[in-house]
Amino acid sequence: MTIFTKSFEIFCGTGGVGKTTLATSRALALAAQEHRVLLITIDPARRLKDLLGLSNDSIGEVTAVDMNGIKLHALLMSPEKTIQRMSKKYQTPDLASNRIVKILSKPYGGMNEILSLVEVQMQFETSQYDVIVLDTPPGAHFLDFLEGISKIRSFFDQSFVEMFSYLGTKTAHASKRMLGIRIINKVISGGVKKLLSYLQKVTDAKFIDDFIEAVQIIYQSKEAFLKGLNLQDRLKSNSECNWFLVTSVEQGKAAEAVEMKSHATHFIHQDHFLVLNKCLEQEMMNWFPEASNLMALKNSLETREKELKKNLKSQFPVVLEFPEIMSKDPIEHVNNLTKKWASYAK
Amino acid sequence: MNQKPRRLYIFTGKGGVGKTTLSKAFVRHLQSQNYQALYLTFKNQALSEVHEEKNSDIEINGIREVLLDLEESAKGYIERRLNSKMIAGWIVKTPFFRALVNMIPGFNYLIYLGKVLEMGKENPELIIVLDAPASGHALTMVESTSNFQHIFESGVIFEDTHKMLARLNDPTYTKIHVISLPSQMSWQEAIELKTGLKERSPVEVDITVNNCLFPLVEQNLSDLPNGLKEKSLNEKQLIEDHKSEMQCILPHSLNSDSLNIEMDLVGSLSKLI
Repeated sequence: MTIFTKSFEIFCGTGGVGKTTLATSRALALAAQEHRVLLITIDPARRLKDLLGLSNDSIGEVTAVDMNGIKLHALLMSPEKTIQRMSKKYQTPDLASNRIVKILSKPYGGMNEILSLVEVQMQFETSQYDVIVLDTPPGAHFLDFLEGISKIRSFFDQSFVEMFSYLGTKTAHASKRMLGIRIINKVISGGVKKLLSYLQKVTDAKFIDDFIEAVQIIYQSKEAFLKGLNLQDRLKSNSECNWFLVTSVEQGKAAEAVEMKSHATHFIHQDHFLVLNKCLEQEMMNWFPEASNLMALKNSLETREKELKKNLKSQFPVVLEFPEIMSKDPIEHVNNLTKKWASYAK
Repeated sequence: MNQKPRRLYIFTGKGGVGKTTLSKAFVRHLQSQNYQALYLTFKNQALSEVHEEKNSDIEINGIREVLLDLEESAKGYIERRLNSKMIAGWIVKTPFFRALVNMIPGFNYLIYLGKVLEMGKENPELIIVLDAPASGHALTMVESTSNFQHIFESGVIFEDTHKMLARLNDPTYTKIHVISLPSQMSWQEAIELKTGLKERSPVEVDITVNNCLFPLVEQNLSDLPNGLKEKSLNEKQLIEDHKSEMQCILPHSLNSDSLNIEMDLVGSLSKLI
């Protein structure tokens, strides 16, 4: 089994499966082969920080990492920093200047997924890296991340075009605060107008004002957001992107991995990898317990793993198995996995 | 049973820690104590263009399972607020509304939690056990309600959000269980999550450690292969170091299918009430 290196390598998984550790070890294995690697994590638990010895100051900034002589760059996503980079690069207003957008881009506000797409795109455009390894948020987060792409598209969809083009032409010289209700009354789109009037019934005029401003400010940043669409095409192409769907024996969640795959069919191509982490098979094979409770334990662990593998192999084109590594030292842990990745390298 | 149960139990934690199994087992436990309980989870995170789904409410293997659909839950709320089924049906279908819900973080949770609390209001005897999304999302979920309070400064939605938040943050109404595995990394994440939740909400947050090997092999440590031995010793150390912060320690089940694992757990969950 040979895994060819691609420009983007994306790790998805349900969390707690060792996804961050696997992504990090993959990045290290690639860096050891002289690829210029950027590792991005959007996992809010920020485990990577500890693993790579990054400090709190490095959150949101691309940071050079040297792990036992292997050099790579790492970025822990921070919505705030990405927004700053965005307005600098695209010369757009600071998204966080609007009350609504500001609240929504708090670390757990949930804009992480969309912003991470923008971030990956911006980093890709620097042409400083051969490979960007992306550790996506776990579980349902992963689907959100992918949905993020369609969210961008639907946000700028037809129903907005009218409103946006109106705002775009009429407000170039007007002060933003002057807008608000007057605009709504003038927007021709019956649907949007009607909807906003319902919205006003259940909220208040100030909200409508701020909302219009938020829409406008996001619209002004649309170039950055829409670039995410280009990224989608790259991520869909099997010559540009490797997808690793990670699960673990410990979890025994074959059904969830399969579900993940079925959800993701719109986003990922067929040449993806299922990574099964924390396999106990090797260890169980050489263990012959005598006590009855241990025999029952061995039997339960083996049965669960066997069933899981059978199930996964019938559903996924390639299953990569990684052994359970028992080490208190995260660095040693990662190094062991890095060796395993190196054995797949070409 | 001397302690009166809460009305809403939220089970959260990283994926794969056994949230689903534990929340279902907890519903069984409540039922065994003659309480009326149901298992509830959210079907989808975004409004989908493709699927036309409904909330589902069925009995499976002796427990009531409710799966909420985002679109139907949203429709229900708008219908109650604008007193029109037709307008509600139209609104949720508009691309504008769909974009709004999908784009604004936490909007989906607001809709879901609204529905959950509505269900609780309709039946004062009902205890809802919510199988919540993985860690980061649990924070989004708790935070979204307060975010929306800041977004809407007055009006009907503001008042509704305010009521929701009051209930959700009422320690006599809601309790949160963070589920962890007995590994150092999982434990750290559970602690981070608990801290994050405590910063955002005054309700009780407890950590349960699931799937522990150590209690099973305590007497036979020397007969274990190296990896398992190391794992069991790590567990032992973790449990010794943090026992006081662990509300409940649950052993690994020797069964291999989820229904039997669930049944194994039922008897050990009285501490979670």
